[in-house]
Order: sequence, then C-alpha cells, then structure tokens
Amino acid sequence: MTPLLELQDLGVTYRTAGGEVEAVRGVDLALEPGETVGIAGESGSGKSTVVASVLRLLPKSAKVTGRVLLDGEDVGAMRWGRLRAARWSEASVVFQGAMHALNPVRRVGKQIAEPLRLHTGASAAEAEARVHELLAQVDLSAAKAKAYPHELSGGQKQRVMIAMALACAPQLVIADEPTTALDVIVQAQVLDLLGRLVEERGIGLVFITHDLSVLAATCSRIAVMYQGLIVETGNAKEVITAPRHEHTKALAAAFPEVGDPVSRYAPATAEPLPEEGERDPQSPVLLSARELRVHFRDRAGSAVAAVGGVDLDVRRDEIVALVGQSGSGKTTLARTLLGLQKPTAGGVYYDGGPVPTSASGLRDYRRRVQLVLQDPNSALNPRHTVYESVAEGPRIHGLDADEPGTVVAALEAAELRPAEQYLTRLPHELSGGQRQRVVIAGALALNPSVLVADEPVASLDASVRGEILGLLLRLRRQLGLAGLVITHDLGLAWNIADRVAVMYRGELVEVGPVEQVLLEPRHDYTRALLAAMPSPEPDDVWPAG
Amino acid sequence: MTTSPTEQHAADPDERRSGTSTVRYVAGKVGGALVSLVFVVALGFFLFRMIPGDPLVTMTRERPTGPEQLAHLRERLGLDQPVWQQFLDYVGGLVQGDFGTSYMHRRPVAEMIAERVAPTLLLVGTATVLAVLLGLWLGVRAAWRRGGMFDRTQTGIALALWSMPQFWLGLLLLIATQGVFPSRGMTSVDPPDGFALQALDVGWHLTLPCLTLLLVIYAQYMLVMRSSLLEEMGADYLRTARAKGLRDDLVRRRHAVPNALLPTMTLIFLQFGMVVSGTVTVEAVFSWPGLGLLTYESLRGPDLPVLQGVFVILAGSVIVMNLVADLLYRVVDPRVRAS
Repeated sequence: MTPLLELQDLGVTYRTAGGEVEAVRGVDLALEPGETVGIAGESGSGKSTVVASVLRLLPKSAKVTGRVLLDGEDVGAMRWGRLRAARWSEASVVFQGAMHALNPVRRVGKQIAEPLRLHTGASAAEAEARVHELLAQVDLSAAKAKAYPHELSGGQKQRVMIAMALACAPQLVIADEPTTALDVIVQAQVLDLLGRLVEERGIGLVFITHDLSVLAATCSRIAVMYQGLIVETGNAKEVITAPRHEHTKALAAAFPEVGDPVSRYAPATAEPLPEEGERDPQSPVLLSARELRVHFRDRAGSAVAAVGGVDLDVRRDEIVALVGQSGSGKTTLARTLLGLQKPTAGGVYYDGGPVPTSASGLRDYRRRVQLVLQDPNSALNPRHTVYESVAEGPRIHGLDADEPGTVVAALEAAELRPAEQYLTRLPHELSGGQRQRVVIAGALALNPSVLVADEPVASLDASVRGEILGLLLRLRRQLGLAGLVITHDLGLAWNIADRVAVMYRGELVEVGPVEQVLLEPRHDYTRALLAAMPSPEPDDVWPAG
Repeated sequence: MTTSPTEQHAADPDERRSGTSTVRYVAGKVGGALVSLVFVVALGFFLFRMIPGDPLVTMTRERPTGPEQLAHLRERLGLDQPVWQQFLDYVGGLVQGDFGTSYMHRRPVAEMIAERVAPTLLLVGTATVLAVLLGLWLGVRAAWRRGGMFDRTQTGIALALWSMPQFWLGLLLLIATQGVFPSRGMTSVDPPDGFALQALDVGWHLTLPCLTLLLVIYAQYMLVMRSSLLEEMGADYLRTARAKGLRDDLVRRRHAVPNALLPTMTLIFLQFGMVVSGTVTVEAVFSWPGLGLLTYESLRGPDLPVLQGVFVILAGSVIVMNLVADLLYRVVDPRVRAS
C-alpha cells in the first residue's frame, strides 16, 4: 500500500537578510490511511514549515530539498495546474489560529463552499446543501453558515476550519495546533470530532501540537521535532511515558498530570525553587470579594449576570487559581477586582477596607494590585525598550526615587539576569518567555502585594511555561506575594496554586485547597473539567487502522 | 462531554459588548457632524474678518465717494455694527438659508453658490471616479508584485504627479495639446443645439481640467490601496485561500482586495470633500465656472459674504462626506456592524 503521505529526507532552508536559516533538516515520515501521526514541537521547531511544504505553500525565499510524496506523487515536481487541483481535494489543512485563518469579511458558509465549487464543480445549491451537512458534522447549526468569523466563538471558528478542511473529502488532513487557545471542554470536543473522522472515514491525520498530553490522547505514533530535526519518534505511549530525548522530557514535564505528587508545587523549571518557609495558614486576607455581582445588558436589553454573587478571598503568601472555561465570567471577575469594571452589587475589599472609588484612591489601589496579561506580545509597546516598559509604572505613580535602581531590581526579581544586559533591548529581540518576564517585572517595579495574572502562560511555549510558573511560585515564597491566577488549565493550578476556585456561569461552584478540589471534586462541573483533560490512558488511544 | 458549547457561547458574558443600536450609532455620528459644522461656521466668519483689505475701498475704487456716502454704505452692509452683532446676524440668516448678499454683485450669495455647484460637482465627480478607479487598479497591481518593475515605476510616476502644482500641470497640458481642447469655460460661446451635442461640448471643455485634477490626485488612492494591500499580504487567510487551490488572481480578487478596500474607502470619501475645496487653482486656470473660480474672484474684494458662504459649503461637504464614509464603513465591514 502506498503511504498517503511520505516525507523523504525533507529539508527547508530560508534565505534571510542574516544568511540562510535551516528550518527543517532530514525529516522522514510516513502516514498510512486511517492512521494518526503526531508531530510535537514548539514554535521555531520547524513543524509549521513541514505543514506548508506538503501543499507547497512555502514563501519564495524557501529552498526545499528531499521529497514530499502525496499518495505516491512528488509534490515538488507537480505542475501548477496539477498542484492547484491537488490542494485541498487530496490534502487539506486545519490551520493554526482559526481566528486569522478565516477571511474576516466573508461569511463562513461561503468560505467552506469555496473549495467545493472550485474542485467538485458543485452548483451553488449543491454546495449550500453540502455546507449544511459539513456544519452538522462539526456540531454547528446550518444557520451558522451566514455568520461572519467574528460572530463565532473560538471553538466554533475552529470547527468551521475543520468543516472547511473536510469539504472536498480529502484523504489526508493536517491539523496544525487545532486546539491551542481552546479551553479544555471545547478541546475535548474538537479532539473527539477529529478522532471520529479518522475512525469512520479512514482518512490519514497529521496532528501537530506542542501539548504532548493531547497527542497522547489522539495519536498512534509521535514524532518530536526540535530545531528542525526529528529527535525522537515511536509509539505514542512509549514516547510519553519513557521519553529518551532531553527535549521530549521537557515537553512531557511541562504538562503535569493532575494528581501526580511529583509535579505538585513543582513546575518544570531549571532553577531550583526556594524551600517552603514557615507558613501561617491564617495570614491576613489581602483582597476579597463579597457578594460581588456584575450585570451586563445583552442586545435585547435584558440583564445578564456575568458575575452572580461571588465571595472570594486571596490571602498574603497564597496563590489562588481561578479556573473555568471561556465565558464563565472569570475575566469579568478579575476586571472587577482590579477596579476596571464597576460592580452592580456587592463590593471588593483590599486589606480590610473597601476599594476606593476616587481617581487617586483607585490609582493607589492599582499600584498595590498589579495585572499580568496573557499575551506579552501585545502587552508590551514594540517601540519601548525593556527599561522604558518597566519604568513606566513607577513614573505614572510618581515613584521617582532611584528609577534605574528600581528597574534593575524589578528585572532581577523577574529573573532576567544580569538585568543590565536587557535594559536597552526591544521586545522583538526577546523570546516569548523573556517578554513575559518583562511584563512581570513591570508589575514588580511598583512593589505590589497582589499579582493578578490572566492566563500568564497560555500563549507561551511549553518549555517556557514551567519557567514562568516557577517564577510566580518563587515570588510567592520569597516575597510573600499573593497571586490570583486566572486559567483554564488545571495542570497550572496543580503546579503552583494553593487553593482553587472553580467558576461556572458567573458563580463559584467550588472553592478549596488544590488537593481537595482536584482530587475529590464535589461539583459536577469540576468533574466535567477534569474529565475533559486529555489523558494518556491506553483505551483512549484511537485505533491505528 | 455533554455540555453544548453552542449554547454556552450564546450566553457568553465575557465577550458581550454593550449593543449600540444602529439608530444610536447614526444619531451619534450625525450629532458629531453637526457640532463640527457649527465650529466651521464660527471659524469661517472670524477668519475672513482677518483678511487684509477693506471691502469698501474696492467697491468704491472707480467712483469718488464722500465720507457720508461711505458711512451710508457701511451702515447698509452692516459693517458699522460691532463684530459680535454681525456674527449673530450672520448665524441667524444661515439658519434660515440666507447666506447674505454679495458686496460686489448685490445678489443673494445662496443664489450665486447654487449656480456654481453643478459645474464643480461635474468636474470633481468625474475626476474623482476616474482617479479612484485608476488608483485602486494601479495600487493593487503594484502591491501584488511588490518591489517589481511595475511597482517601482508606477509609484515613482504617481509621486511625481502628486507633487506637481495644479496650475503648472494644467498649463503644461494646455501647451502640450496645442489647442485641441478649449482652454477656458464650460461651454462654447455659441453652444450647439440638442442635448447630445451640448453634452459633447461640455465634455470637450471638461477634458483638460479633469485630466489635470485626475493626474494630481490619483496618487493618494494608489498609495493607500498599495500599502493597505501590502498589510494584508502576509495574512493567514490568504494562505488558507492558496491552500484551497485558488488561482492567484482569485486569491487576490476574492480575499485580499475586499479586506484591503476597507481602509481605502474611508479615504476616498474623506478626500472627495478635500478635492472639492482644492479646485480653486484648476478652476482658475481653466476659467471653469465653479465654486473654486467663485472663490478666486471673491478674494479680490474681499467679498466677505460670498467667501464665507463658499467656505461653509466646502467645509460642510468635507464633514458630510466624512459622515457618509463612517456610515458606509458600517455597512461594508461586518466587524464594525457588531461592535
């Protein structure tokens, strides 16, 4: 049997101003029909270049060596007409980031129908019927065909992308990070859907992600890419349970299994964590919400409770993880705690007193309670040096005593050492992890007592994730800094948090110590969240043929 | 998992925005435009009071006039009143559609402007439509093959024309065409009979002023379209379109251009108002009987009521076009409609 896809000694080199960059080197890979192969790797590992090379979508500056065989046919040797005919009808791609991969000004139904009309010559009516069929396959109603991408949630856009990939019933589907940025419950649905398609249709699926636990749950074989090379390949379960290469080990450690005592209070970080000092279980409550309610008006004008009566305490020297899927109201709650959103009822208290409402009072309060955003790329001004970014907070708050000293100390505290080396750098000269450290340093420069972090590692690479979580834990242990970490990632809570608050439809359905909530969940929703986490149990692996 | 994400996201409070209804949006934009208009009226009035030159001196230049007659004239024109009183009278008149009376022609300004609007609209409208079509086409072609021969030469030519003074380019064209096209006016002294022939006559007169305007203004449409398309060139959805197997020109036409057109459209409308105000030179060079020529003639007075009237009309057209752009943008971009 000819493999559906075969990569033979594939190499891709980009010509850049700074010389030639080898993005992919000597990659060999084969995929049979009905098989799922996972490629694991971080940004820069070359995995997206591999995707692009299969349909010859690489930019002109790329030089390809080796061969890509699609159903036995050399893609590199195809003429343009043949290549266009093969694109999407023989192999399609679920691109990373459905948000940007869909045209924002075209209705999604039109976008799904486009390859149908092009490759199968379907009439408008036939295409429309098929679009509805495809939408049904991904659990979306036919009415969604009329929607524009921005009218859909992240998970819905991702499913539109999958429906589009299946439009011409290709034999090969390449899914590039199809679940990244989705919360666990939606992720479970997308994974389930892809698994069903492989099983029912016998298509071949190449699954690309940096999250090994997802691959463990979906793939029969895994190839781990690092710096353009496949460093390890083999049976999925073996690769994950007994990784041989250093990088695979790092990837495997980045996503801890909830309940594994080895990873409790131990994010995957290279720097040693300080010993846990004496902890006072009754340390004073710093930040608290009492009967907090935030109502919004929807388009029809009726009130919707984004936050419906929440009581929450964050103590000194404690990290609280606020978990819940997107839409649960956790971001609104955080915004209200920071004084960025006015509560409809109830109140926010800091250090025993209500949070002031006057402009100067609020400013002072925000100095004590600092926010760290999800995406360091957009949180930093691309034209400000590290020094300016960190010094901005102290300047705004008029803390002019020894500004350079404050900045250096904040950078040191955020573990950018030696700090002097980073002062004049611009964000684009830093790695994703370093950028997030600069954001954290900006918060630390104000000497806050509470850090509110909204998905602090969601947009970072797996290997950096452990380092940033380690930093948060160290800050807590060394400075007694309180943390409220908003996340949909239960593994994160297991790694660093002391207590978990589970939010569902605007209410906290379960609050308690991490071990209690995650190991003996009492609320159905907490159980659902835990069940949706991909697990590498053998019976979850899809049949390989 | 049994939770249906469709329903959950339908009631998604985190992503909820306070829904501004279309009516409120339109009312807000119209209100903003009205406020701008009020400022323009005030600015216009006081600005023209600062122009050096006494209108009475110009008006009485040919005839010897005694101080009594001058005082009488001053009183008749309302120039003896304090400035704030003149302003109030002026605004009061404007509200009733009265732009005042021309010092030089003793005719209502509204009437004078009305007969000049159509020629200007004809000239500016034709030039703008042609410039937009030419500019967008060149811009798309230049961006799609960025850095290529076409891009470099066309960008260079467009910039060179954009930087030329209108009167100079107009005179050059006059010389270059050697009298093939008429050099002044909108119609022949002895216009032909029949609508078709008259239209042809006007078109013949229109050629040079229109060409001058077109050559000077198309560059901005081209350059904005070019940079706007260049910004879309790296977009992920274009890669998706290519992966689907679309031909290159379909990728461009169906996916890239509609997105790149959005920012360009605002400019087209905004510029339309600006182009109207910018016709003073072209109309003066070719004696085109429009608002620009009227302005040029009135500056010699200075015929303050006419200047103020034209100023209000021109500035008003910029504001109105900006309003149209805002409203149209909402229709064209689905994302703006939602927020």
